[in-house]
Amino acid sequence: MVSRVDVPKGGFNFDNYQRNLILQEKGFSLPKPTKTGTTIVGTKFKNGVVLGADTRATGDTTVMDKNCFKIHYLAPNIYGCGAGTAADTDKITKMVASQLELHRLATGRESRVATALTALTQFLFRYQGHLGAALVLGGVDVDGPHLFSVSPHGSTDKLPYLCQGSGSLAAISIFESQWRENMERDEAIELVKEAIKAGIFNDMGSGSSVDVAVIEKGRAEVCRGMEVPYPTIQKVDSYKFKPGTTAILSESFRNFVTITEGDAMDIS
Amino acid sequence: MEVGLKPGEISLGTTLIAVAFDGGVVVGADSRTSMGGSYTVNRVTDKLTYVSDRIYCCRSGSAADTQAVASIVTYYLQLYAIQHEEEPPVRVAASLFQELCYKNKDALSAGIICAGWDKHDGGSVFGIPMGGSMHKLPYATAGSGSTYIYGYCDTSFRQNMTKEETIEFVKTGVALAIGRDGSSGGCIRLAVITKDGVQRHFIPGDQVPALGVI
Amino acid sequence: MSSIGTGYDLSVSTYSPDGRVFQVEYAAKAVDNSGTVIGLRVAEGIVLAVEKLVQSKLLVPKSNRSIQTVDTHIGVATAGLLADGRHIVNRARDEAENYRDIYRIPIPGKMIADRVGHYVQAYTLYSSVRPFGASAIIGTFDHDGPQLYMIEPSGVYWGYHGCAIGKGKQVAKTEIEKLSLDELSVVDAVKQAARIIYAVHDEAKDKEFELELSWVTAQNKRHEFVPADLAAEAERLAKESLNEEMEDD
Repeated sequence: MVSRVDVPKGGFNFDNYQRNLILQEKGFSLPKPTKTGTTIVGTKFKNGVVLGADTRATGDTTVMDKNCFKIHYLAPNIYGCGAGTAADTDKITKMVASQLELHRLATGRESRVATALTALTQFLFRYQGHLGAALVLGGVDVDGPHLFSVSPHGSTDKLPYLCQGSGSLAAISIFESQWRENMERDEAIELVKEAIKAGIFNDMGSGSSVDVAVIEKGRAEVCRGMEVPYPTIQKVDSYKFKPGTTAILSESFRNFVTITEGDAMDIS
Repeated sequence: MEVGLKPGEISLGTTLIAVAFDGGVVVGADSRTSMGGSYTVNRVTDKLTYVSDRIYCCRSGSAADTQAVASIVTYYLQLYAIQHEEEPPVRVAASLFQELCYKNKDALSAGIICAGWDKHDGGSVFGIPMGGSMHKLPYATAGSGSTYIYGYCDTSFRQNMTKEETIEFVKTGVALAIGRDGSSGGCIRLAVITKDGVQRHFIPGDQVPALGVI
Repeated sequence: MSSIGTGYDLSVSTYSPDGRVFQVEYAAKAVDNSGTVIGLRVAEGIVLAVEKLVQSKLLVPKSNRSIQTVDTHIGVATAGLLADGRHIVNRARDEAENYRDIYRIPIPGKMIADRVGHYVQAYTLYSSVRPFGASAIIGTFDHDGPQLYMIEPSGVYWGYHGCAIGKGKQVAKTEIEKLSLDELSVVDAVKQAARIIYAVHDEAKDKEFELELSWVTAQNKRHEFVPADLAAEAERLAKESLNEEMEDD
């Protein structure tokens, strides 16, 4: 007999894993999680980092969200682009953002990128790849600008420019051919935009528009929809139906409640 | 049973060599990190990882697993250095790697070489292959590329090589493996660890010696 | 004794107004009443010697040893309450094993002294426990050569060239100071240790005693009891020197 019901207090819930096994046993196909077939990139420049992402979220081959936001806040000076399972990248970045905020309150110091990196990798490693979160992590701290990538299994890479997601093959070709050391801010933004566009145009999992985050010492700017390579075409006509389009053939009214008059309630 | 790579896991299909010489060790590696055997995730990876001031480890297998193990060992060695007020011996570092790799053999895919210098034994090399055994060796090779250079190592390795000869031995070994192993490539990274410190060498991809008939 | 009747000596968790912990000082007294124990550190090893006072002629010789082995390379001689000494040694064995499990090398002298010292000190903090009525002399051989440490009931420990505890510690210490320890061979150190134990033994107060002798030498870096023939030789010489001394008087 169940004497007590444990209410989960937070964190990840793997109940659906069991459900999926049963579904599979009965011959049903597995439910597909919403994956961000994605292009995310990051590059260092002269005095900061630029992160970029497309805005398409897909479930199987269907576009589930045409304008989703993949550049996640981690700290005022640190952002992370997420690729993989949207639910996992959302959750994990929120959890680490919370950890970092509390850590800042406790120490009274600006968060370091290495701290965010350690928190993310240790968490992902503990889940042995079952969390489908791949990230491009960028920020500027006391030691200057930093750029890292994190894989779902918890491995990290440190490079001057990085791409992840299904569109990374298209995006990396832009960096490999055009990247230079010590770029100016505007050059770096332009290069990131080009790389994301390469993903949007050539990768079926990526699309819609380009989001960009620029982080410099003491300043972070997030630009939503910095470029929309093929804007939504205006509909030639309004598809809204005018009132009265549907003809009324008959009307009938019925009372469900009988109202009886009486003395007012004594409320004295 | 130890596991192979998990689906989608990033691996260090690698060539690693570590050789002890009189007064220190030379460790060398290629720089390729790949995913699924077809895409290079990082072409300038540093697989020679610091664990203490005079000890490095060379990582092969899963990138995530070996990075995690290396950072745990680094933590233990920092603790050792504080408590003992001196740098840890290489055999202690290797033992820590061995213990972690053996105890978690069912969950890890990690082939590690631990090498460095200490005041008791001078330069020493320990191989800790998949499964978690530990072998003290005059030299060690590991990673997918190592199979291609067994013959080279058997014929070219000599006891009592100088530092310069050892560097050349390691560099040629990695270059040969890069030439034959699809999972190894990129640049050659070297570290020379002696009493006086760690000296790093970097040989860019276009300067990796081309050996044999192409 | 100024502490008696004041009430400040009843618990280890209460300081006296002038900042003393009397229970710890009383524990040290238990050590002072014990048979003498000495440790010598020479270039090629360390020697431990104990004047084990025999309470009864019915006791089997060599039983209840107060020198014990903690690890292959570590010997510990205790003075004071034997049972407390055995408890400390037991803990030292656990620490040595734990260190070996983690680092796979024998525990160095300063580490075993540090760990056991911390353990002993913890018994000076809580009113629910009694401080150890025992001191331990630790003799080891590690990478830095022979090491000699002594841990007191308070938990403090120091490294020594030579040390003595127990009834005859004052005389023993002056005797040790006369030795040139750096030039002594281990065999000579054994003979000197035996001589000192015989010299400090007070035949008037304590009748019988058994001499315990052990060493850790550079030769095999193992803690072992001194071989029977050498021990017998050392004991013979000790008695001889005692007789000479008496004749001189």
